[in-house]
Amino acid sequence: MANFKDWALQYVLADDEPLQFEIAKKAAKEIESSNASRATVGNWAASVQPWMSRAQAGDDDLMEDGDDGGSGDIIARAKALGFLAGTLEALDKTILRTDQIVFLVGFFGSMFSYDHKAGITASTKALRQLFVMKGFKPDMGVKMLEDVCKLKEDFRLQSVVTRLEIYELFRSLVKDPSVSSELQHKYGSSCGFVVDLLQLCQHERDPRNLMLWFDIIASLVADYSPSEEVTGEIFKAFSAYFPISLKSSSTRIGITADDLKVALRSCFAAHQRLAPLTFPFLIQKLDQGDAVTVAVKLDILRTIKACVESYEHPQASLVPYIGKIWGSLKYEVRNGEVKETIDATLDVLRAIADKLDGSKTQKLEASLLKGYIDTVFKDCKEDLANPTYTKQAGLLVMTVITANIRGYVLESAALLDSIRSNFRQPKSPSHTRDLLLILNSILKARLELVKNRGQGHPEDAEQLKTEPRASLDALFHDIYLSTWTAKSSEPSKENTEVLKQVVQGLALLVSQQTVQQDGQTSLLCSGETCSQICTLLIQTLIKGLTLSSNDKETNDSSLEEEAQLALRTVGLNYTQAYEEFARTAKAEIKKRDWANASAYSLEALRDLLFRLAFVGCSELPHNVAGGSAGSKPFSPLQHFITSTATLLELFPLSVAGLSAEAHKESPANSYVIAALHAGLLFFRDACVAKYGADALVAFSRDDKNWVEEFGGFSDDWIQQLKSGEASDPTLSSLGEEDPEVYRQFLRLSLFIVRYLYRSATAGVQTVWSGRILSQVSNIAAFVIRNLDEKLQISCNLANEAFTLFSGKDVAEGNASPFLELLTRGVLEGLWPGAMAELYNPGGIAENIMCNPPKLEDRHSHQREIRASVALILANKHKMGPSTSDPESQTMKKVLGTWGDQLKASAASDIDLGAFESLNTIAMHIFAGAVARQDRNVLDLVPVLKEAIASEHVGDIVSRSMGILVTESELLLTENHAVVRRFYKQWAYSQIAKQFYPLALPSENGPAAATRYRAAILSIVSNCAFSVYEADVEPLLRLLITTLGDRGNVSPQQLVAALEVLVEILANEPDSLKSHLKAVIGGAIGVSEESLSQSQASSKKDPNQTSARKLALQALAAIPKKFEERYLLPHALRLQRVLAMACGDPVREVRLVARLARGNWAKVK
Amino acid sequence: MQRDNPDNANPTILNVSQLPSRAQKRATARVGSDSKYDSVVLSSPYWRDASSDDGREVREEVTDDALDEQEIYDLISTVSDPEHPHTLGELNVVRLPDIHLTPPRDNPRGLANILVELTPTINHCSLATVIGLALRVRLEQALPPNYRIDIRMKEGSHAQDDQVNKQLADKERVAAALENDTLGGVVENMLKTCAL
Repeated sequence: MANFKDWALQYVLADDEPLQFEIAKKAAKEIESSNASRATVGNWAASVQPWMSRAQAGDDDLMEDGDDGGSGDIIARAKALGFLAGTLEALDKTILRTDQIVFLVGFFGSMFSYDHKAGITASTKALRQLFVMKGFKPDMGVKMLEDVCKLKEDFRLQSVVTRLEIYELFRSLVKDPSVSSELQHKYGSSCGFVVDLLQLCQHERDPRNLMLWFDIIASLVADYSPSEEVTGEIFKAFSAYFPISLKSSSTRIGITADDLKVALRSCFAAHQRLAPLTFPFLIQKLDQGDAVTVAVKLDILRTIKACVESYEHPQASLVPYIGKIWGSLKYEVRNGEVKETIDATLDVLRAIADKLDGSKTQKLEASLLKGYIDTVFKDCKEDLANPTYTKQAGLLVMTVITANIRGYVLESAALLDSIRSNFRQPKSPSHTRDLLLILNSILKARLELVKNRGQGHPEDAEQLKTEPRASLDALFHDIYLSTWTAKSSEPSKENTEVLKQVVQGLALLVSQQTVQQDGQTSLLCSGETCSQICTLLIQTLIKGLTLSSNDKETNDSSLEEEAQLALRTVGLNYTQAYEEFARTAKAEIKKRDWANASAYSLEALRDLLFRLAFVGCSELPHNVAGGSAGSKPFSPLQHFITSTATLLELFPLSVAGLSAEAHKESPANSYVIAALHAGLLFFRDACVAKYGADALVAFSRDDKNWVEEFGGFSDDWIQQLKSGEASDPTLSSLGEEDPEVYRQFLRLSLFIVRYLYRSATAGVQTVWSGRILSQVSNIAAFVIRNLDEKLQISCNLANEAFTLFSGKDVAEGNASPFLELLTRGVLEGLWPGAMAELYNPGGIAENIMCNPPKLEDRHSHQREIRASVALILANKHKMGPSTSDPESQTMKKVLGTWGDQLKASAASDIDLGAFESLNTIAMHIFAGAVARQDRNVLDLVPVLKEAIASEHVGDIVSRSMGILVTESELLLTENHAVVRRFYKQWAYSQIAKQFYPLALPSENGPAAATRYRAAILSIVSNCAFSVYEADVEPLLRLLITTLGDRGNVSPQQLVAALEVLVEILANEPDSLKSHLKAVIGGAIGVSEESLSQSQASSKKDPNQTSARKLALQALAAIPKKFEERYLLPHALRLQRVLAMACGDPVREVRLVARLARGNWAKVK
Repeated sequence: MQRDNPDNANPTILNVSQLPSRAQKRATARVGSDSKYDSVVLSSPYWRDASSDDGREVREEVTDDALDEQEIYDLISTVSDPEHPHTLGELNVVRLPDIHLTPPRDNPRGLANILVELTPTINHCSLATVIGLALRVRLEQALPPNYRIDIRMKEGSHAQDDQVNKQLADKERVAAALENDTLGGVVENMLKTCAL
């Protein structure tokens, strides 16, 4: 006894919750240890007596006026009761006996009659604990409910938290099945307790409490069977909140307005017994006109939809109100302007149609749905003829008809007939367009219905078999073809819009499938119709080729764009379509001589070739019965084969009568190869879209040598596959969903690469211009980089880079100086691991890298090409685990050889032209090694220093130093290049930094210092600011010297210096503060001198223009970075200079000059 | 500055896409789904001219374009109207065919003349002089000093075009107007929408 009293006192005096909880736990433990003996529980309950007796003594007074002196008592009493509730919370829920629970329920329940100020929160908490006790009986729940309802008006005066506790208690009680049945047993259908509850809670406004209250209401409606009157009362209670909103200031509790809307909506949708009240109420709200905002309208519409969907027995709960709902909703679409409300309205109408159709398991009478659709159709029929409302009316009817298969089968024919009759008397082009839009929407919806036929009631699929098809069959001739014929003859913007709809419709029409009696699907359109549609689309695409530039009035190619998308869709289902397109396009192109084609014709050719590639390769065809009737068996790669084979057959295009040089310049052939490349890219994308990028990467089944396999095929294997002369078992067994398609695509692509390479090395040389070889090498790089390392090794592609798939080494000195491009293409795509054997001592790599060809008398581009091959070889060298392995010796040897060569050249009087070639190749090899931070490069630094110091070759070496760190597409990781993340930092610190001391004028002489400056700037200007951030000071001195010495430095060096200056200005302007005069003077000097030089000479040097632009950029940036006191001394002079610069002959420079002038004008 | 009761409360406004621009004159790039990879497959060969040896790709093609009417139009069409929240180009006050440029002969620093004719939206526009003044300021700020600028009302487009023209041609009056703080503020506001 003493214990409990002490604890109660401690509890009352304690202020923090953890301590209170500890005390409650002690009490609970005490009760548990006594096994809840009568005495212990009695003592425990009596422990709060000191506070209770005071309350009862002054009860009336306290209740009435709550004088100040009593407030301390109230708090203490509330805490004392909290002690009891807390103990119950901590107590084992099985320990109390039923009689004890009855007693406690009685005790706490009495608080709701006597102690509205102090007792409610704790009592409710206690009751909630008692409710979950093992000994709890349903009749106690009824008593709890009745007791709590005694709060009456004082419920409103309770705090939000207290009310929340009470709602929690109510919810537990109302939702408990045993209490629920006890309540129904006691109160019967009148559910009298509900009325008490409603009275108690009717003024609730707190969002969190409302969430609970709505939940309680929904459960009262759904789980109890209240009489009509009580239902009416309940409806009144919750509908008063509709439409509900939430002030933004009170959203901190984590409940949004949407949560409240959803909770309230669930009250409306709780049970169909509410239907007579709900629908009229909501419709009346909707019909208030302009008073209803969009948000409220959406809420109403969504609530109606929720009711329609959740009410059962639609005959009684929905059918009587359909007329009213439709009568109100139709205007929302007919005259509606807000897309959201229109969509929400259509959702309601669709939901009604679905409800009237029945559920997945049980269908309703067909007359219900038919009646509904008829009502809608009847009202909209007239509107279909009225251009103002055609679109809206069509949307309404289409929505209800295509909501489900039954509706579609029942009524679609009537709708199609109605549209057809309107087509006969169109009011305007826009009317025609709208009717077509509706028609296309119906076809689109039909596609979905057929596709999802297995997901609904089994009857649905059966019904589709009985669909009347006469109207559908006639669509092509009656509507699409006739509209096309009428509109295509007179091109105008409006007609083009109509034609675009026709083209879209045609694609949808060909995609339509019908369900046969045996459940199989086949194409709706006959082969003849499909063929006609194809011809029409193909003619649209080919038209450009037949027109002259005068015939084409606009640049609008949107119809052609639609046509190509449509033809692609057609080709997916009706696979002959693409073959026909390829055949016709090829014939049309072959008909013409491309020797002296106009620019317009060449553009038309380019467009057609790209469309050919796009239509065939950008999506994988579907295997549809009837789609490929009478032709070859289906293969997902068939369009790809047709596309590439056709392009290969077109190449080379006839350009008879042209000289060899002119032939090479003609872009026609280049377009064919470009289209081929685009086709590969499109197909890769299509595979990624269909199978997912991960599936393609992870997919590798074997390591066959494809190249060896190709040896057994004829050179025109692809063309034979297209014509059917050859077949391939792997290709013909491919399924649509098998990711193996991608690998076979790569296999075919590799064959194409091999074919092109072999043609290039053996074929008519005039066709293979440098440009085309470059394109072919890009194709090879694309195909090969998509093969995994294993496959590259098994196909021995590293060797093919040098035999060019011809089976023998292609010797140097062959006819085309560009042939090495092909080697580059293969190497570019290879993984380093697949190239390992090239690096054997004395092997190909060493040979190529160490023995530069005699280049000086050859084409100048060859140097570039050889350099890029050498760069790849130097870069993709995979270091072995130990440094002494022979492979790394190879690289050491290569770099050493070039070091010796540079050293020897520096000391000799070598011809500068020859040296330039050697130097370019050497620098590229170094660059490849630098990218992977090959430490052997460090041995070269002294050599480079020496070479730069050489008066003879120093200039060439110093200005080519930037090559070491320049960005190159060959060094992209997607090409499997070995690029260390911080290689530029490494190169800067290991190479460029070594030159700083030498760049100062010293015993080497000013000329050597200038060359070292050039070398540093060449490297630094190719690096990001962060690389040289730590050396800004010494760098600035170099920059200023360069700008000041501009008469003696090359324009490239000036450009590099200015680039670095602009970077420093952007990133660390403060470092310039003390050099401002020199910088401004230098920039002005560059700008003025470069301008006068460029005005004096007729040949424009792009470096001069860049220098001017950069100088002005620097000047423009300065006023934004410094305070006026630093700028004022220069302002006047700059105003003059910049005003003159605004007359620069180059527009881009003028733009920068204006910016600079504007910035300096603000300096006053 | 937008006045509450503008001279022309309801002017015709051109869409930005309708305004003459240099982009329209250039050959348009291909659009459409099949052009997705044009930049990859139709790119020029990678090699550079042998003249550039520092490892950098040759920078973007810089063409030698003398200042022309379109550029003058681009400079002044973006000036805002003092009454409406639109530019003078959108309101068709400034029109490309009404810009006449006589470039310098022989010597690029020789004298060049620019004549801009304005068409107010209504013929009694009270702000014609302010507009003219703003255009003069804009051009003087953006052109080199060897360009002589002449701004006039297009013949017949304004009820008092003679007077307005006289005011705009009078250097002293122009200078005096710019000294006026209020007027200077209006002009400054009008030029806020100009880019480079």
